Amino acid sequence: MPVTCRVGIDIGGTFTDFALLGSAGNRLVISKRLTTPKDPSEAVLLGLPVLLEKAGAAIGDVEAIVHGTTLVTNAIIERRGAPTAMICTEGFGDVLEIARERRYDMYDLASTYPKPLVPKRLRGEVRERIGADGGVLTPLDPDDARQSIRRLVEERGAEALAVCLLNSPANRTHEDAIAALAAEMYPHLYICTSADILPFMREYERWTTATMNAYVGPMFGGYLDRLEGGLAEQGFRGALYIMSSSGGMMAPEAGRRYPVRLLESGPAAGVLQTANVGKLLGIPDLLSFDMGGTTAKGALVRGGAPLKRYEMEVARVHDFKMGSGLPAKIPVIDLIEIGAGGGSIAAINARGTIQVGPKSAGADPGPVCYGLGGSDPTLTDANLTLGYLDADFFLGGEMPLDATAVGEALAMGVGRPLQVSEERAAWGIHESVNEDISRAFRNHASERGFDYRACVMVAFGGSGPAHACRVARKLRVPTVIFPPAAGVMSAVGLLSTPLSFETFRSGRVELSSLTPEAFEARFAPLIDEALSLLKLGDAATGDVTITRRLDMRYRGQGYELEVPLPDLPAREVLRALPDLYTGVYEQVFAKSFPAEPLEIINWKVEASVPLAGLSGTPRLDAANGGNALKGKRKAYEPVSGRFVDTPVYDRYALGAGDRLEGPALIEERESTGLIGAGDSARVDGHGNLVVTIAGTA
Amino acid sequence: MSTGPDIDLVDLGIMWDRLQAITDEILLSIVRTSFSVGVREAWDLACVMFDADGRSIAQATLSMPAFIGTAPATMRHMLERYPAATWRPGDVVVTNDPWLGTGHTPDICVARAAFVGGVLVGFVMTISHLPDIGGVGLSVTNKSVYEEGLILPLCKLYVAGEPDTTLHDLIGANVRVPDQVFGDLLADVSGCIVGERLIGEFMAEYGLTGLGPLADGIIGQSEGAARARIADIPDGVYRHSVQVEGMDEAVTLACAVTIKGGSVHVDFEGTGPSVPFAVNVPLCYTSAFATFTVKCLTTPSIPNNQGAVLPVSVSAPEGCILNAQRPSPTGGRHSVGWFVVPLIMGALADAVPDRVQAEAGMASLFIVRSTTAEGRAKVTQYFLAGGLGAMKGLDGHHCTPFPTNNAVVASEVWEDETGVEIKCRRLLPDSGGAGEFRGGLGQYVEMTNASPRPVTVFMFGMRTEFPAQGYRGGGPGAARRILLNGDAIAPKGRLDLAPGDTLSFYEAGGGGYGDPRARDPERVLADVEDGAVSAEGARRDYGVAVDPEQYPSD
Repeated sequence: MPVTCRVGIDIGGTFTDFALLGSAGNRLVISKRLTTPKDPSEAVLLGLPVLLEKAGAAIGDVEAIVHGTTLVTNAIIERRGAPTAMICTEGFGDVLEIARERRYDMYDLASTYPKPLVPKRLRGEVRERIGADGGVLTPLDPDDARQSIRRLVEERGAEALAVCLLNSPANRTHEDAIAALAAEMYPHLYICTSADILPFMREYERWTTATMNAYVGPMFGGYLDRLEGGLAEQGFRGALYIMSSSGGMMAPEAGRRYPVRLLESGPAAGVLQTANVGKLLGIPDLLSFDMGGTTAKGALVRGGAPLKRYEMEVARVHDFKMGSGLPAKIPVIDLIEIGAGGGSIAAINARGTIQVGPKSAGADPGPVCYGLGGSDPTLTDANLTLGYLDADFFLGGEMPLDATAVGEALAMGVGRPLQVSEERAAWGIHESVNEDISRAFRNHASERGFDYRACVMVAFGGSGPAHACRVARKLRVPTVIFPPAAGVMSAVGLLSTPLSFETFRSGRVELSSLTPEAFEARFAPLIDEALSLLKLGDAATGDVTITRRLDMRYRGQGYELEVPLPDLPAREVLRALPDLYTGVYEQVFAKSFPAEPLEIINWKVEASVPLAGLSGTPRLDAANGGNALKGKRKAYEPVSGRFVDTPVYDRYALGAGDRLEGPALIEERESTGLIGAGDSARVDGHGNLVVTIAGTA
Repeated sequence: MSTGPDIDLVDLGIMWDRLQAITDEILLSIVRTSFSVGVREAWDLACVMFDADGRSIAQATLSMPAFIGTAPATMRHMLERYPAATWRPGDVVVTNDPWLGTGHTPDICVARAAFVGGVLVGFVMTISHLPDIGGVGLSVTNKSVYEEGLILPLCKLYVAGEPDTTLHDLIGANVRVPDQVFGDLLADVSGCIVGERLIGEFMAEYGLTGLGPLADGIIGQSEGAARARIADIPDGVYRHSVQVEGMDEAVTLACAVTIKGGSVHVDFEGTGPSVPFAVNVPLCYTSAFATFTVKCLTTPSIPNNQGAVLPVSVSAPEGCILNAQRPSPTGGRHSVGWFVVPLIMGALADAVPDRVQAEAGMASLFIVRSTTAEGRAKVTQYFLAGGLGAMKGLDGHHCTPFPTNNAVVASEVWEDETGVEIKCRRLLPDSGGAGEFRGGLGQYVEMTNASPRPVTVFMFGMRTEFPAQGYRGGGPGAARRILLNGDAIAPKGRLDLAPGDTLSFYEAGGGGYGDPRARDPERVLADVEDGAVSAEGARRDYGVAVDPEQYPSD
């Protein structure tokens, strides 16, 4: 049997991470390089041969490449999409601009809001009307629609079209008819319909999502062409997959049709890997904490599964503030995003105290210590000053840091305005970030009724391990796990992500009126659609899992809750549903059960299939053996408020059963872990470093 | 780690963030556990933390802005009635008295002391809009506060953790939906308890024995920053007046804003008298919006606390509509109270031209009572926003509420809920006040009762007679117009929509800023292309000729 391997590539804002897994003995090889923001495929195509050489593998051995990318997000942030038109119901052409009618900041008069992706001149209205119940109030006039499409394409230069009609989730025939007309008239036009992208009520959010999909469609198709071409030139003959925002891989064809589902492509993989770690260790509830060069991301795993939601926000235009971006209704892992990473710039804010981020020095010029011309102090500069990073061992010594200019930058940006020393300023920066992250976790968990004090944190990313223990201490989380290859964990997560696709229908129906036959009939077309979009390739074997979920509510309530259905015959599911709903309701709302009948609002089906050949723990191909204790260096210890001699361990030389006490620094090539005074750690049989946080018992 | 009074600015920032996080977490826990739509969907609530002396030190980020000023005053009243030394662990003091709380009866203020290690270290107050408080209900036609439901004076809802059953029974006997009311009250109290636990954990982590020194730092920094920004305004007395439509006749609001040495005093002398309709404003609500305005103009990015309140003082003649006295009805106090913001901002428009925002079109708020096909009664709150005012360097945003911040209802949800069909929602070209920076546009919304049953609408509109004014040479926004089957109707009051009746709203535009002729012609052209300004408007208001061939209107 030939030795085959699989490659995961995660393109982040600052770094592109690579992970290769060989099928013989689960051998894992990893690497990391700076992202090439102008054309992200460049770093991929340059880095792949380097990774293969390091692994001693040939491109012909690679059976699959799984790819997470920020390309779609960036195209929207930088407004680099296609000239996009929309066709909508007569009278509603301004919905994208009227938007949410809400201020996201109570006091900031100068708040700004995102412009719609489709300008007025590219918005066409057609006569037609579907009622709230799905009935046709005004029939569609095909000639009127053709005329509108022709004007948008021929006179206004549209290259993509989103068809957005009122109440289309209740009846999508008019949207489909317009899309068919447009496809007939202009075979090369990129076309999507709002009910196909996500058929949920609320026109502004659904239409914005559809226009976003159309906007990035042509560009993403082109990118995939280039990437597939470049890989083919290098001799790649395997399958290419793309990570979706909801924690499943999509085939390129599905990606071309639903590029908007790739908005949180990379971060989702890290959360999935957190769930994998939990599964391996039998821990159902986890906090996933990922921190890289530009942002920190958190997510909650409950009962083994990452929490999901169906709305996120993209391209915030005002200081990363929630509400200042465009909403996208897509299935997405429920991520907390904080504008704080290694490259985040520290400054003094209006209240006269330290603020870190959301401005970031990015990869270029990057932190002062990169020596690439950056002059604003960043979190990485602070961590270097505090002794948490080793200037000579950044990226394993491949990218030495230069501390000479750091002290002056810290003094200038923070120390002098606050009249404190450089070291004190550095600690303030470090601890402010810990506090910001803790706050984000607290709010996120409280909103979801999740008791973070009873769970385990999994920390990863280039900067995550340096902050995790302190964040955990603030949250009273008793245990923190640093998995092996923590610095590139999203890329590792990509290697074990199943193929999956989720489909939706909205359809309000009172539970008591449903027969088992009608119940099955509602799900049947969704299951067919999900299966056809999976595009099972050679890499996929094993049984497909079909997961069904419902959004339900008590009649008259303005909000729904998602209920996962057991894999049972319809009759039994229907019988169990009231209790299932009550269980979910109790978890979120704690109490109050109104005496109203139950309604189903949305129907959801997810088809997924695991990739073959991956089980057990990947074995990191870097173990050094030898002496784990590399030496000591002065590092800041906050309890005593002093710099103390702190032991430095080689992560790869630590073996199962090894124990150590904080304060300690654990170095791997891609990241450095910081263990606080009083905390203790041991390495388990899977290579995880498990830290017990002091004072949380 | 520092303890006691010597908290440096590094620690201050970090600890301040934590207190902010604690109030945010309390607020979210209330939203999660409360059942009423007002709290869950419209975020009509607040959480404020105080130190042991009753000074506010943190407020949840998503709190309603009006409570910035009312909560500290409410806490002061509570401590006057029940001095701090007399509070025991588990004591909960409440009030919904409009003059001691937030200005109208539906809002309940709930305060509980936080004890750490047996010592009272502070208070947590939560405020939420209850689903019902008895009486006639929220209507502008109420003639006295006694029609506006049960008034709870400053009283203990819990004594040492035990509920006062008499008080509970009294509340239960006076409200329409006691389960929901008690559910929300319990959510408020639980939020305070969560706050006490989080404060305790925080103090243990940092080895603090009290919140006093931290409060000194927080308030000191905030007050200092606010005073420094106020001191940038030239000392002087700045006067302004605005007209507001009442029920029968217009009401004048007037003010004299005195800026002196880093402090602001606002005197509302010259403001018209209270009226026999529920639009009167208790002084606490007036003060709150005065503080809100000063905060917007000075330190919008600093989290809210006592430091923002200290530099601002307010006076108003007793019995004027901005200092209404018992028993004036106050249920709709927002529809006049909101105007305190443009009143003060207009006074300062020439003193701080770079900071002010021209008047906003504000919003139409209306409550719809309908019946479903099965005969079930439904009450739905809807609102439509006009345009924001422009400011130096920034056009006003279209269709954005100010100074309030309600939540929007999508057309699809609205149709599904009410059986009222929305015929169209369009931006109104030329409705934004002309200016070097243009006011935000209002919108045109047309709705028809498509159901076979009548629908009743309670309206709280404004700006039909007095459009949003521009500043520094900017033009006014278009006024609001409300039409029933094509005929203009009054913006406030009750309306019955028969099947087939059509209600149309022309939402008011925001005021412009600066001379329209100074607007960059490229931006005028862009506005024409975006449909914000018509070709005719471009020529008339901006002196920019536009080729109608190039920009056909469609």
